[in-house]
Amino acid sequence: MASNPLARRILSLPTQLRCLALERSLATPALRQLPASRTYATYNTNFNTTSPPQSSVNHEEVSHFNALASSWWDPHGSSRLLHLMNPLRHDFIRKCANSQGGFQQEKLKFLDIGCGGGIFAESAARLPNAASVTAIDPTPEVIAVARKHQRTDPLLLEPNRLTYLNIPIEQLPLPSSPEQGFDIISIFEVIEHIQSPSAFLESILPHLKPGGWLVGSTIARTNVSWFTTKFMAEEVLKMVPRGTHEWSQYIQPQELREWARRRQDLDMTVGGNGFQTMGVVYVPGLGWKEVSGSEDWGNYFFGVRKLE
Amino acid sequence: MASRPSMAKLLALPPSLRRTVFSAAQSTVKNPEIYDLVCIGGGPAGLSLVSALRSNPSTKNLKIALIDGQDITTTRTPSDPNAFSNRCSSLTPSSVRFLKENGAWDHINASRTQPYHGMDVWDGVSGSKIQFDPSDRVGGSILDTIAQAIPRSRLSESRKKYELGRDATVATMCENSNLTSALLHRLRETALEFEILDRTRVESIQLGPEPKDESSLDLSQWPIVTLPGERNIAARLLVGADGANSPVRQFANIPSHGWDYGQHGVVATLQLDQTFSEGEMRTAYQRFLPTGPIALLPLPGNKASLVWSTTAPLATKLKQLSPAEFTTMVNAAFRLMTVDINYMLTDASTNVAEELAWREPNTKASETGLPSYFPRITGVQEGTVASFPLRMRHASTYTGHRVALIGDAAHTVHPLAGQGLNLGLADAEALAKCISRGVEHGMDIGSCWCLDDYNAERWAANNAMLGVVDKLQKLYSASSGPIVWGRSLGLDIVNRLGPLKGALMGAASAS
Ligand SMILES: Cc1cc2nc3c(=O)[nH]c(=O)nc-3n(C[C@H](O)[C@H](O)[C@H](O)COP(=O)(O)OP(=O)(O)OC[C@H]3O[C@@H](n4cnc5c(N)ncnc54)[C@H](O)[C@@H]3O)c2cc1C
Repeated sequence: MASNPLARRILSLPTQLRCLALERSLATPALRQLPASRTYATYNTNFNTTSPPQSSVNHEEVSHFNALASSWWDPHGSSRLLHLMNPLRHDFIRKCANSQGGFQQEKLKFLDIGCGGGIFAESAARLPNAASVTAIDPTPEVIAVARKHQRTDPLLLEPNRLTYLNIPIEQLPLPSSPEQGFDIISIFEVIEHIQSPSAFLESILPHLKPGGWLVGSTIARTNVSWFTTKFMAEEVLKMVPRGTHEWSQYIQPQELREWARRRQDLDMTVGGNGFQTMGVVYVPGLGWKEVSGSEDWGNYFFGVRKLE
Repeated sequence: MASRPSMAKLLALPPSLRRTVFSAAQSTVKNPEIYDLVCIGGGPAGLSLVSALRSNPSTKNLKIALIDGQDITTTRTPSDPNAFSNRCSSLTPSSVRFLKENGAWDHINASRTQPYHGMDVWDGVSGSKIQFDPSDRVGGSILDTIAQAIPRSRLSESRKKYELGRDATVATMCENSNLTSALLHRLRETALEFEILDRTRVESIQLGPEPKDESSLDLSQWPIVTLPGERNIAARLLVGADGANSPVRQFANIPSHGWDYGQHGVVATLQLDQTFSEGEMRTAYQRFLPTGPIALLPLPGNKASLVWSTTAPLATKLKQLSPAEFTTMVNAAFRLMTVDINYMLTDASTNVAEELAWREPNTKASETGLPSYFPRITGVQEGTVASFPLRMRHASTYTGHRVALIGDAAHTVHPLAGQGLNLGLADAEALAKCISRGVEHGMDIGSCWCLDDYNAERWAANNAMLGVVDKLQKLYSASSGPIVWGRSLGLDIVNRLGPLKGALMGAASAS
């Protein structure tokens, strides 16, 4: 994994020291320029778009994920960090629900978009309060991996508990009435792989039940996140394959909040709890930890609630 | 299971390859019943794991089976209130807290347990002594240093409590049967669907069959436990609480390293010349002899439990003595010089009672280190003298795919620190915690994602404890020379240093 001992040493430093080390390395002009090269036009131009929905999928991304498909369930493979992060996803969903006094309904309907090999989808389907989990992904190979793994757990084969569909969100039939929508829709580590996130987010909302939560996670677009995910994780430590992240597609939490505020159907009441974020940091040796404030510069969760 | 080297080699293959080698044998398993957790072994470790799971809202509905080859549901605690089983353990305060939290302690027959409040330990060769007394447990920087030196030990945590004076108990003596029947009571009380299959020996454990086709259930990486009557149970998580020779550990092909001490632990229930009333302060005694430590642990009234670690031939000899001779030998072992003890045990022609009668008045307590208030042993309860071989074993890991080991299946420790059972209870507590976290987060509780934390939490802590106990054992096995001088110096200095003593004592009662 860590081919470069120096890099490993930097990552094992306490966070504050690491930040210092990072600032030093980022002081070189070449690295400084990177944030400016972001092309994120789709965010504004597609806002309130009236053009017919197109597939949100970036084709280069699809072929890249094919290479990853076989490694989803290897404990020491490239998905290790995702597995380790998975419990926090559930904690974050609970945090969102608790901000409204918990879930009203006993059993929840989940939709997991960009489910990959099924790390989150499987775990949601095992929860005692899961009514059903629908998990979709446009890449045939990862759905094949997910289905194969599903067969190793008899619980997940119970009728309706976990259904994988090899489709993009645009092809998922809309609910017959808003009440038939999903209670929880998740897009974990997805939007940084999407070329036009606002169109993508808007195609999701009709599937969400009023009062339900759209939750996700992504990485903020900052010097630090470029350094840790593109440079350290992909190039130096080789913890994830090169090309996993398209850094210019990273989204800031305030950009998401701005997008949500412009929507009429989201609960963005002033001082309300309809928009939640939680920053998390991977600390070598300790795993993922919630670090408040880190959403502005690293991995973070976001959740928006649909108005009832 | 993996007795022959070729078999061991097969077992070392990755499961997928192993399967192909064994496929003929595995095809016999048809339609196994599916359980969330199968615990093999209904000893203290297995029962406390299951009762902890039953007491937690997140895990109480798991489908669990507990299997034991022996009859564990018939109470074997002696009905006579003055008779005590020879299998007693000293439970540390953190073990008692765990048992209180999972509701089992309410069902303990308290009149059969005995807390003790001090420990008197002395060196049989040099006579140096170290007294353990909770009043010594005052803070000091040495303590903190030691607390930090043992990774993940609960030393610092337990110390703080003592400093606050909340708990002056070093440990509580409890018969294993009292503990296991309390745990069984607790399990019955929860009245949830739960299967105890005792008097049921496991016939085999193997991986499940290959799936019929591309779309059917694939149990090929699930352990399948075969019971008599062709009953097959597939386990999402198979827990080995099945003691030192753990069949589960062998199935998972987890190596267990260590050595035999060439010693046996002789146990017995003894009668004393002093009767203690309930609530009186009690002391545990331990003397380090070159052949191994001998310990006298208090039981209610005028009773005490003996654990005498000694060489295998001497253990055999001790078991052949008449009750009167045995009693005399125990008194001699605590009171005489080591040369005299050796003579009495090895010379076949001696009359032990006479030997003790004339040697004892000629032995100075100041030379042997004998505490002035040490009781005289007056008898041994009939049928309680038994022995077991002493070993040090440590599994190289506690977890594998769909497998976790707890208690003696994971580690066997020398009884000199009275830790064996306490380590097992701490394992059970840690594993139950990991499983509940796993259930709350939708994990497959048999996967490494759920089990890794258990291994991380317990392995290093147990390894540190095993190392300390093993080194103490080695240190005190020498009968002369620099080690004895060094250690007598050590003990004397230790005795003058309150804080260090407190640390040692904390280590004995933390787990
Ligand atoms: C004779 C003796 C005296 C001891 N005295 C002391 C003492 O004084 N103080 C102290 O601290 N420790 C003592 N120990 C150690 C202490 O008893 C153990 O540390 C403790 O019992 C471990 O608990 P456990 O639940 O891990 O295993 P065990 O209590 O050994 O339980 C294992 C269970 O697994 C079952 N089992 C095994 N194989 C199978 C199978 N194939 N199928 C079905 N069931 C199976 C067995 O029947 C048994 O009930 C003593 C040990 C022995 C053997």
